[in-house]
Amino acid sequence: MVPLSEYATVPVGSTLFDAVLALEKAQAEFDHTKYKHRGVLILDKDKRVVGKLGQLDVLQALEPKDESPAEINELSQFGFSSSFVHRLRKQQRLKAAPLKDLCNNASKLRVEDFMQAPSEGEFIEEDAYLDMAIMQLVTGRHISLLVTRKKELIGILRMTDTFAAVFHTMKDCEIDKAIIREPS
Amino acid sequence: MKKLEKLLGRIIQRININLRELDYDVSPFIKDLVPLNQMDKFYAFYGITPNHPLDFVFRHSSLAGSYFLGKICARNSILYKSDIRGDELKHQGDMFHYQKFEIPITRDEGIDIEDSFLIKTLVHNFSHDPETLEKFFIRDTVSTHYANIHGSPMDGCFLGPFATVDLTTMRDCVIGTFSYVQAGEVDHLNVDPGTVWVRSPDAFNFLYRYPLNKLNHYLNFIAGRQPQGFIMDFVENRKEAFQRVFDVVNIEQSIPVPDSASLDRYAVIKPKTVISENVLVAQRAYLQNAWLGKGANAQEQCYIINSRLEGFDITAHGAKIIEADLGKTVFVGFNCFLRGRPDSRLTIGQDSIIMPHTIIDIKQPLTIPPGHLVWGLITNSKELETNSIALKDLSKISDGLIKGNMSFEGSGAGFVTAFKERIHHILEANGAFFDGEKNRGHAQKNQNISFNTIQPYPDGELQGLYPAIVIQP
Repeated sequence: MVPLSEYATVPVGSTLFDAVLALEKAQAEFDHTKYKHRGVLILDKDKRVVGKLGQLDVLQALEPKDESPAEINELSQFGFSSSFVHRLRKQQRLKAAPLKDLCNNASKLRVEDFMQAPSEGEFIEEDAYLDMAIMQLVTGRHISLLVTRKKELIGILRMTDTFAAVFHTMKDCEIDKAIIREPS
Repeated sequence: MKKLEKLLGRIIQRININLRELDYDVSPFIKDLVPLNQMDKFYAFYGITPNHPLDFVFRHSSLAGSYFLGKICARNSILYKSDIRGDELKHQGDMFHYQKFEIPITRDEGIDIEDSFLIKTLVHNFSHDPETLEKFFIRDTVSTHYANIHGSPMDGCFLGPFATVDLTTMRDCVIGTFSYVQAGEVDHLNVDPGTVWVRSPDAFNFLYRYPLNKLNHYLNFIAGRQPQGFIMDFVENRKEAFQRVFDVVNIEQSIPVPDSASLDRYAVIKPKTVISENVLVAQRAYLQNAWLGKGANAQEQCYIINSRLEGFDITAHGAKIIEADLGKTVFVGFNCFLRGRPDSRLTIGQDSIIMPHTIIDIKQPLTIPPGHLVWGLITNSKELETNSIALKDLSKISDGLIKGNMSFEGSGAGFVTAFKERIHHILEANGAFFDGEKNRGHAQKNQNISFNTIQPYPDGELQGLYPAIVIQP
């Protein structure tokens, strides 16, 4: 688990650019693992988590808004193939503004318009077993869980950390087996 | 009147149940769309000919101003000024070809309307659904002004004004104002206004969507109001011309009609109209200073004004052609609105296909070259460039094409062939190729029709409803 104090957070009302800066700062200060943080927590005035902003959410903000995505999405309900719809999206994207302009525009947008509000399955108590955390990550397809102590948020359990723990356990099992096969 | 009110309530409830998954309530749209006290003001009428079956069954229905031909059953329904034209239904002994199947028709096909409310709607053609070949059903359905139900069995559907469902079995769908759907089989779909969709699964798919802000000028439909817009005004402004043809019992033909042509006595003919051989003019068509060359036709609710059609031209149901010159074999699809001006005429080159529900409204002269496919909204030559393609170029498309608001996927050649075959079939069915002996079609078969009228209860609880009526040979 990463303590909340070491994770990137921004208050509600921040811009996407504020969030990216907060993430950069947290990544620079957090050096005890090779896996960097990939998200930012959005906190309300009482320091409660109201949302998570992942890398995909930031990229989502870059998508041009003038391409009528709803209409393109609707094409599939009229029986158009997914490859045709994909081609149309590409065509629309080529017509859109250059990436630099998109980044410039997106950085001024508010985080709450793109964050994901945490769902019930994203919280886990600090004393829960690891297998319970794995179950929540897998079934909810989350990239991290919010760790609580008596309903108060104390840290983040990231998928990368969970995977590292599982990987070490697997390695330990193999070593144990090897020791049994070759008794001294 | 009480029974009629109850009947309308029952129809609304039934369609709302069908459309509950789309969360669509039809009642605000149709409650006052046609005042029920209108229902006893107009007689219904039916045609008798030696060429079509005579089999009508009407029960607990209002039929005000509606026309019937062929084999038709209406139960618990309100049909207001609608044309239920059963002259293309299948006959006992026919063979229906579908994919690799050859399916024998075991009895004459009939149009079966139940628990439905059709307003100024055209029902025509035959069921193309191989699962229901002898029954062309319309159940729990509401269709509003100038909608077309063409060869399309349907259950639980709502059709907005000037909507067309063509050769498609449809269940639990909403088809928006001025939308055209020809897609084989569709269910649980809410199609926005101004959508033109032609799909043949595994072959091609054509989709055009009108910019709504521009379509609204021509047509719009808001809950609690009558359909509105320029096209609606155009039709309503010519309503009175039909009054006389419906009021007079024996009406004289006002212009010479060749022996091989058919001019329906319920069509309006204004001066300087010329009808050539093998021409078909259907009921409720409106011709004014129109020149119709050999084999041309004007279907129900068509308006041809100050225009010349060279020959073998098709003016499909509800199409309007004003101040225009059409070359030979031009197809003008359902509900098209083509308007030139006296000093800015519209010229359409031969063998061109104007897609159903196309609006051309120009203030400068405009020429569509021969052999082109045209769609959507066109008000000038630039928009024509975006909304048209030469048929030979379309035939080369094998994967997809996007032009303006139009998306096309599949085989362009398949699309062109399908349209050309259909155009040929329509001309054939209408008798355009009649040579004096062979190839008789509607133009020849519909010449001698007798019309009988039927009337509703004029007063009391049953006011507006017709008594149970069975009419058979």
